[in-house]
Amino acid sequence: MKKILLMGNPNVGKSVFFNRLTGANVIESNYPGTTVDYTKGYMKGNSEDFEIIDVPGTFSLEPKDKAEEVAVKMLEEKKDALVICVIDASKIERGLYLALEIIERGYPVVLALNMWDVAEDKNIQIDIEKLKSILNIPVVPTIAISGKGFKEVVLSIKKAASVGVKEIMEKVGEIK
Amino acid sequence: MTLTADERWDLIEKISNKVVTFSKFKHTLKDALGELTVKPLTGIPIAIAVLYGFWSVFSSFAGTLCTDGFFVKLFDGHFLPWIQSVFPGKGGWFYYIFVGDPAADNCFEAFGVLTSGLFVAIGVVLPAIFIFYLMMALLEDVGYMPRLAVLIDTIFHKIGLHGYAIVPSILALGCNVPAVTATRILETKKQRFIMMTLLAIFIPCGAQLGIMQEVIPESIGIVLLYLIFGYFLFGFILNKITPGKSPEILIDVPPYQKPLWNNISRKLRMRLGGFFKIAVPFVLFGCAIVNILYLSGTIDWLARVLTPLLTGWFGVPGETVGPLIAAFLRKDLAVAQLSAIEMSKYQMITSVVLVSIYFPCVATFVMLLKEGWKNLLGSLAVLVTVIFLYGGLINVIWKLLGVQ
Repeated sequence: MKKILLMGNPNVGKSVFFNRLTGANVIESNYPGTTVDYTKGYMKGNSEDFEIIDVPGTFSLEPKDKAEEVAVKMLEEKKDALVICVIDASKIERGLYLALEIIERGYPVVLALNMWDVAEDKNIQIDIEKLKSILNIPVVPTIAISGKGFKEVVLSIKKAASVGVKEIMEKVGEIK
Repeated sequence: MTLTADERWDLIEKISNKVVTFSKFKHTLKDALGELTVKPLTGIPIAIAVLYGFWSVFSSFAGTLCTDGFFVKLFDGHFLPWIQSVFPGKGGWFYYIFVGDPAADNCFEAFGVLTSGLFVAIGVVLPAIFIFYLMMALLEDVGYMPRLAVLIDTIFHKIGLHGYAIVPSILALGCNVPAVTATRILETKKQRFIMMTLLAIFIPCGAQLGIMQEVIPESIGIVLLYLIFGYFLFGFILNKITPGKSPEILIDVPPYQKPLWNNISRKLRMRLGGFFKIAVPFVLFGCAIVNILYLSGTIDWLARVLTPLLTGWFGVPGETVGPLIAAFLRKDLAVAQLSAIEMSKYQMITSVVLVSIYFPCVATFVMLLKEGWKNLLGSLAVLVTVIFLYGGLINVIWKLLGVQ
């Protein structure tokens, strides 16, 4: 079965994502560090089933605490996995740091810009189409607590492929 | 191809320059509230109010409304006389284990599996953890916890931890088991060791809080003061003697959120489900074990052997051996049992504190073991020292105050 890792910074809504995608029950709270161990669940896709793993939140792939160690170990053990990288749309830079690290390691990534509503509240506008063409991966705005954007996330799983960071660097120079 | 951290940040800056536009930031009510609750001048009074409110709701809902208002009447008035009369084999050992004392007129003193066991589990502890977890889930989902962490950061630094230690500490007030896992959010081995040891020794769980405010409502404040004081005293010492680092952290304070009823009810269901699956069987099983130990004379024998130590060092009656054994299985059960032993108010306070700082319950013990046996051995060494020093110290304090 194809494996999907749900990764991202702490407190961006990965567990809410996980519960929505799998119908499972993991504890969700509004503070970083609720998930400190991983949880597995299953999701029915359109044509195939997936195993989804809720990975503890991490800022980078150089672990700073035990929960982050678990996250990095999960990633390294699942070489053939696809990663849904959930990032906070209102703090996109730090999310992109982790996303790039994962991309550099050759994993296919779907980028979910979660907490889209919070970003809107803060008057932050993100050009999704531009971001998509720079990174060359699926990018979906989502609001996990209300369920917005989930269908698109699931649909874009099959479009995810690994990309080289060199292409990204070239693309960002070309685009206006 | 992989990048260095600097190259990566460069690239991110380029990307975000192209795709992100910031417009004027509006200051909302949420932001204003967020600042009020995190600035010390306003935040500390608010924190005290929140914690006081938490405690008032906890004790009035669980104690006054559910236990005294409903379950005591139900169990003592109807269930106990009924089961005492219909259960076969009065006077036999089977009756003793399951119903307990046939002459008892309340469920604290009967001490059978089906009388005290059920009463403690359902009548006292269930309402307590229900309301605890409900309020806890609300505070968690609203996003108040990180603010509390910011406010309390300075104090926690004195014991080698930082503000985020509030998360495992408060979780432990519900149940020590998930709290042990939650220590993983702390960065270094030293911090995790200090946190695990302190919470296993000094933090009473929701079940224990529930039963304490039922059986010793007038002295629970003193018991908690002793525990809080011990937590910081031994935290301070542990910080000095444990090798390793205690790094600073930057706390990420998330925005306030409207809690979602769905999420709260799911969390409540999961946590209460855990209580029914793990705690209730342990209470009933613990009750049975203790009764068997009484019947076989083991407890009387232990009480005789240990009386010099218990009375001489801690100043409590030898009969507390029974509850101390039960405490290894369930702390709530042990406190319930203590309430049936005749002793002075001060001896009661000492023995309740002893039950709390005594070995963690079996479930917590297993969790500690899972996090590494070296840590566990270290924690146990601290624990034994703490029991003797701190338990003895409390006895000395009573003596100095001239109370017995």
